[in-house]
Amino acid sequence: MDLEKLRKTAAEIVSREDVKYLIGWRQGTFGYRAAPCFVEDAAGAAELTFSPLCSANLATYLTLAEKLPVPRGKEPDSRKTALLVKGCDSRAVVQLLVEKGVKREELVIIGCPCPGMVDRALLAEVIPEESAPADLKWSGGGFVLVKNGLETALPRDRVLAEQCRLCRHPNPVVSDILLGEPVQPWEVGPDGGVDEIEAKDVADRWDYWEEQFSRCLRCYACRNACPLCYCKDCILDRLNPTWINRAVNFSENTAYHLARAFHLAGRCIECGACERACPAHIPLGKLNRKLAREVRDQYGFEPGLDANAEPFQAAFKPDDPEEFIL
Amino acid sequence: MTEKPKLGVYVCHCGINIAATVDVAAVTEYALTLPNVKVARNYSYMCSDPGQLLIKNDIKNEGLNRVVVASCSPRMHELTFRKALQEAGLNPYFLEMANIREQCSWVHENRDEATAKAKKLVAAAVAKARLLEPLEAREVEAEPAALVIGGGIAGIQAALDIADAGFKVYVVEKTPSVGGRMSQLDKTFPTLDCSACILTPKMVDCAGHPNIELMTYAEVEEVGGFIGNFNVKVRKKARYVDFVKCTGCGDCAAACRMAGRFLSEFDAGVGKRSAVYLPFPQAVPAKYTIDPESCLFLSRGKCGKEPKCVEACRAGAIDFTQQDEIVEFKVGAIVVATGFDVFDARRKPEYGYADYPNVITGLEMERLVSASGPTGGKVKIHNGVEEIIPQEIAFIQCVGSRDKSTGNEYCSRVCCMYTAKQAHLIKDKIPGANVRVYYMDVRAFGKGFEEFYDRVRREGVRYIRGNPSEIFRRKEKLVIKVEDTLTATPLEDEVDLVVLAVGLEPRADARKTIELLRLSQSPDRFFLEAHPKLRPVDTATDGIFLAGCCQGPKDIPDTVAQAKGAAASAMVPLARGKVKIGAQVACVNEDTCRGCGFCAAICPYSAIEMVTINRMGHPVEVARVNEALCKGCGSCAAGCLSDSIQPRSFRDRQILPQIAVLGVLR
Repeated sequence: MDLEKLRKTAAEIVSREDVKYLIGWRQGTFGYRAAPCFVEDAAGAAELTFSPLCSANLATYLTLAEKLPVPRGKEPDSRKTALLVKGCDSRAVVQLLVEKGVKREELVIIGCPCPGMVDRALLAEVIPEESAPADLKWSGGGFVLVKNGLETALPRDRVLAEQCRLCRHPNPVVSDILLGEPVQPWEVGPDGGVDEIEAKDVADRWDYWEEQFSRCLRCYACRNACPLCYCKDCILDRLNPTWINRAVNFSENTAYHLARAFHLAGRCIECGACERACPAHIPLGKLNRKLAREVRDQYGFEPGLDANAEPFQAAFKPDDPEEFIL
Repeated sequence: MTEKPKLGVYVCHCGINIAATVDVAAVTEYALTLPNVKVARNYSYMCSDPGQLLIKNDIKNEGLNRVVVASCSPRMHELTFRKALQEAGLNPYFLEMANIREQCSWVHENRDEATAKAKKLVAAAVAKARLLEPLEAREVEAEPAALVIGGGIAGIQAALDIADAGFKVYVVEKTPSVGGRMSQLDKTFPTLDCSACILTPKMVDCAGHPNIELMTYAEVEEVGGFIGNFNVKVRKKARYVDFVKCTGCGDCAAACRMAGRFLSEFDAGVGKRSAVYLPFPQAVPAKYTIDPESCLFLSRGKCGKEPKCVEACRAGAIDFTQQDEIVEFKVGAIVVATGFDVFDARRKPEYGYADYPNVITGLEMERLVSASGPTGGKVKIHNGVEEIIPQEIAFIQCVGSRDKSTGNEYCSRVCCMYTAKQAHLIKDKIPGANVRVYYMDVRAFGKGFEEFYDRVRREGVRYIRGNPSEIFRRKEKLVIKVEDTLTATPLEDEVDLVVLAVGLEPRADARKTIELLRLSQSPDRFFLEAHPKLRPVDTATDGIFLAGCCQGPKDIPDTVAQAKGAAASAMVPLARGKVKIGAQVACVNEDTCRGCGFCAAICPYSAIEMVTINRMGHPVEVARVNEALCKGCGSCAAGCLSDSIQPRSFRDRQILPQIAVLGVLR
């Protein structure tokens, strides 16, 4: 990725009259972090970056933007939002378009073909994270860490993030401007994480998830980081009726996670944002990918690829398979 | 409602239907211990007048403001009890029913367990009843017109009845003429009246009636709206013959270069027609139609120097530039009378229908014996060698009916009798012919049917009980392999002609009609009525009614009876001029709705549309329910991720406490 081109394009876009701001990444202030940023002018555009640390799914911010009350007699701000997207981010955008969460005409989508992101935890296992910001680059088939002017090569397989190992759509599926050349999709092996749980019997599966969900703090970081969890008023927060009690225990935690997983069935685009956000390291990706696998195998449907697709959860055919109904 | 709930619980014995299995006294006693319950009573028939009076008196004297009736399914008597509440001055929707009959006494044997379950169901109903809200049913105007889809005997009869009552009727028929299947028949069982003689006057009436607008060679494209206010779009297909100019003389058909080259649909493929044709001599309207698929000029763009029909037509009616025409109108009710298809005998290859010219279907036989048929009523058949007048004739019953292998488990109801009729006609036309019928059971259930069956047997038609396994050719004869199951004798029967009594099937394009009108299908794939016994002509969609074989196989008297029933039902909203809209409809919380449109996509009644509202100065899309279309089924609520759409009376906050009670109680 040519960063100069990225910054130049971004500066041009934010200077447009009809663009409110651009959502992108810049280098973080700590260790292996890249931070999402909102760019409104050329100075901001100069700080933009795109590196193997930019795993944050920026589509999340599209629906988070607060819509303040418009004073009487004034028109609402109808300017567009510009957005940098990787393959997975673009799928989230497409799914949002399907669900009418955003309107296409309100977006300027800048596609960034993505050769894969690193998993910060794996990276820190190889080279411990220090407070000073470090930069990471793609190089050949792997990654290069740049710290204090020193470059350290990292093998791809060692630090590549799990969702990227399984990624089938590294190139943006929708974009107005595509930066750089599309990358060659890589071979995706079996989803070992889900296979492993599927191989367990029911009792073992229950034990596994009991252990995982018991650790949940119910901080709702997974929900807030998820680009497709954006109801203004989440039913899991409601008190009448109280679907889920505000108690942090295994029973309520399980209800929370299962409700969320089912709400995401046929909608989750497997970006891994939930799992990255989880401070308790609950393998939420496995849960969501299991449902995504069911949807793919049973119905041949993959969300976030076609903005004109019928929303999966609202589609019904009399000959839909029902084998999974016990 | 801020008023404290005061409940009355009424437990019904339903004679012994409930009381034999459930200890109703114990349930009543238990109900008194439930929160907010002031009165609990049991009575032998709650739905009876004295039963209802109990409720009404308690409402007046005890000041009840919620009522729980523990009896049968709400489908049975919810309306009855709602009316009782209303008469006592209470909002009718302050009623909750506990179904302790279908869901309890009828399905259990152990009295103690059934009683315990009945208590649970009552407790659950009480938990919900406390949370009920008052609802109002609204009324809207109804358009005093009806649409009849299909111009067979069912459609014609329904249209005539509605039109005679003074309402406008639009009849839409797919083929160029009304008449349908009945016009293809020769004589009708068991009275042997000539089918055409009794039908044609009705066809003519239908076309000439001042209140009927007949659209033949037309198809319904779109139906929107709801009972009282359906918006209909009809495509009138191009006939390529000027409807007004055509005199029906037939010169064009005689002149057509392709004259006699195409199988006539009307003659069930036995006769032939031209590319420009009148389906049959008595067709109504008597206007010619050019089949664009078989016409050389329309399919290939060239027909000699000039199409011969153009030269032949003295009225100058041939018009190849004609285009399909779209007509739109509004009706208050719809009668669906789309009829049936006959079973395709090729799906029973063992009978050799596709292989032997002298294996024919019952419908083909109708055309053969018909005086207006291609042979002028002479039963002549080609046996593969020569044309003969068959002497040895066999009928095989239940071809494509009562047969799981063809997917049709049902009895087609007409084949036994049309076979008997055809056997009689053959005996009549070919003196000395040997006629036998291979049957499984003879179902002669209608008025005069058994007598007719008896008469046919006395005329010498042999009935042999057995289901043939195979038909093959031996020289110029057909051999039927069959076991006579009454004497356990395997037979090989040599005959000249085999008539397969093919059954009735739903129309091949039934799916299209279902999607158009949002109908349902029963397991036999015919259209589903709202209730098999009490609402046999209604559908789940208010204002849409079924007539004739589209709902299930029927003979002509039953079809006419159902058509008259459908017409009478369709006239209810038309005559009233107003329609009531259900109150238990879905409602949207526009504050939390995120406008994804899942509910609109899910709704089986197209009752939800997306509208733009102003939310704090921002235009946002939200769902809105058309209360006239909504049935309160709750599919939308199940699909809504943010719980922003819920059916009234079935809100989560009402049914969750109900479910909770079921879970906790022992």
